Amino acid sequence: MAKGAGIVERSLVSDDQIMEFDNLVMDGIDISGRWNTMLKSRVHGERDWQAWDEVRQNLVGTSIDNCIQCGLCTAGCTVGHEVPEFNPRQFIYWVKIGRTEELKKNADVVWRCVGCYNCTHHCPKGVNTAEVIEVIGQWLRKTVPNRMDPAYHANHRSYRHRLQTGGRLSLPVLQAEFLRELGRQRELMGPEFKKVAIKMLRDGRAIKTLMIGRPRHWSKNRKVLSEMEG
Amino acid sequence: MATQTAYFPGCSLKTVDRAYDVSTRIIARDLGLNLVEVQDYACCGAGELKGEGLKSHFLPGRNLGHLLEQGQSEVMVSCNVCYHELSRTAYAWSQDPKTAQAINGMLESVGEPPVNRRPSVRNTLEYLVSVVGLESIGQKVKRPLSGLKVAPYYGCLYHRPGQMVSSIQIAGEDTEHPHFMHDLLSVLGATVVSHPAETTCCGGKNLLSDERLAGKLTGRILSQAKESGADVLSLMCPKCAGGLDALQFRAIQEAGEAARLPVMYYTQLIGIALGHSAEEVYVGDMESRALELIRRMIPSDQGTLIEK
Ligand code: SF4
Ligand code: SF4
Repeated sequence: MAKGAGIVERSLVSDDQIMEFDNLVMDGIDISGRWNTMLKSRVHGERDWQAWDEVRQNLVGTSIDNCIQCGLCTAGCTVGHEVPEFNPRQFIYWVKIGRTEELKKNADVVWRCVGCYNCTHHCPKGVNTAEVIEVIGQWLRKTVPNRMDPAYHANHRSYRHRLQTGGRLSLPVLQAEFLRELGRQRELMGPEFKKVAIKMLRDGRAIKTLMIGRPRHWSKNRKVLSEMEG
Repeated sequence: MATQTAYFPGCSLKTVDRAYDVSTRIIARDLGLNLVEVQDYACCGAGELKGEGLKSHFLPGRNLGHLLEQGQSEVMVSCNVCYHELSRTAYAWSQDPKTAQAINGMLESVGEPPVNRRPSVRNTLEYLVSVVGLESIGQKVKRPLSGLKVAPYYGCLYHRPGQMVSSIQIAGEDTEHPHFMHDLLSVLGATVVSHPAETTCCGGKNLLSDERLAGKLTGRILSQAKESGADVLSLMCPKCAGGLDALQFRAIQEAGEAARLPVMYYTQLIGIALGHSAEEVYVGDMESRALELIRRMIPSDQGTLIEK
């Protein structure tokens, strides 16, 4: 059996917190079998308020104050159903009690939020959960970038780069830039992309894409975006 | 008399997703809507900047400022991502005077027009149902989609979060079980196929960065619609189209052949029902086998009835 298989909400407990014994006698009583699994008592070390400060000072993060840890956000979460470690209620909890170490351990999980707004929509306390999770992800990106998937960084950078330079998004260019960031530009020559590229060249969409242009006074406008993180 | 409203197509519709833009414009004309495009548009932010606090309102705010400067206060938006971004900023603007001031400060600092009143941001689907009306759309149908089994797909951003997106507030659409697309498709004479994935997320935000998860989510939507008997999935968002149509091969990689299904914008289906040809509404732009399906259903584009 997998370690700690009988624990309810097993995904919330990390492996190193679980103790299992084959035979265990305590105070002269044999408790082998069903009762042989225990959790280490949790000792909270230093609390760290960096994430808390960051989230609360962000315009879209302030609603975190209202969270009562009811878990409705997590019950309907798209990613939570697919990735057991993805638990927005718990991410908020860690921010609120200053356990940033736990957040950092999950840095490569938090960014996987797909922004479906199931959480915000159902939150009974008016927390904009989807955007709070986004802000937590941004904090992690600044704090422990190396723990996050290169694909996340490539996505983050290429969107921002395209938006800052062009003010408008050309999706084929964006996709090419994303793949180039990851050193995967060869995929652009793969059969699926090639087929689409040829089709778009023939039907005129490639030209439309190249001619997308820029908003007026963009060199001035872009200053607002270039002061953005990242 | 034609009803005039502003229209915001956005980057995708201006380029690779012209099918959604052109079909929106064609049916608007048929239905007596005079669309005035928002000039000098910028990208809406594409849902990518939401973690940037106040700055996340810059691009949508710029577009809303231009809308108001053009003397319009209402805008119809087809792309769900643009619709969501513009609604979100209009909502934030209206909720707190300090936020409104900060947004305008940012706009004015680079010489852009401010947002001086709350604009009304309306999703094209909601606009068609509540302003044009199902009855008058029904009266204009020349080629009923009889026999075509269509699965509506709303995605996320049309109706969530309900308190923020303005069409929901205006029209009283049901946020748990939206039905405007169902209603519209039945007026066109299509057989509407309900399925369990009508409002589940396609994973579009991480379409590039989290390929496998996106493939899994799109695979599930397509296969559930197909399993429910649909000939075609009807959608309303170019980001969803990215995963469900353009990158359908990834859905098939994850979920198998069960996920192979023609996909079209609901506006294209309206266009066909109003008598336009598949070419006029660019059905051929879809990567899935939508064109094959429509050609099979309408033996000649001149045909007045769809038969199988
Ligand atoms: S639904 Fe809202 S209040 Fe409940 S845990 Fe999630 S964020 Fe907190
Ligand atoms: S927005 Fe993110 S956190 Fe919220 S329900 Fe969707 S995937 Fe989960």
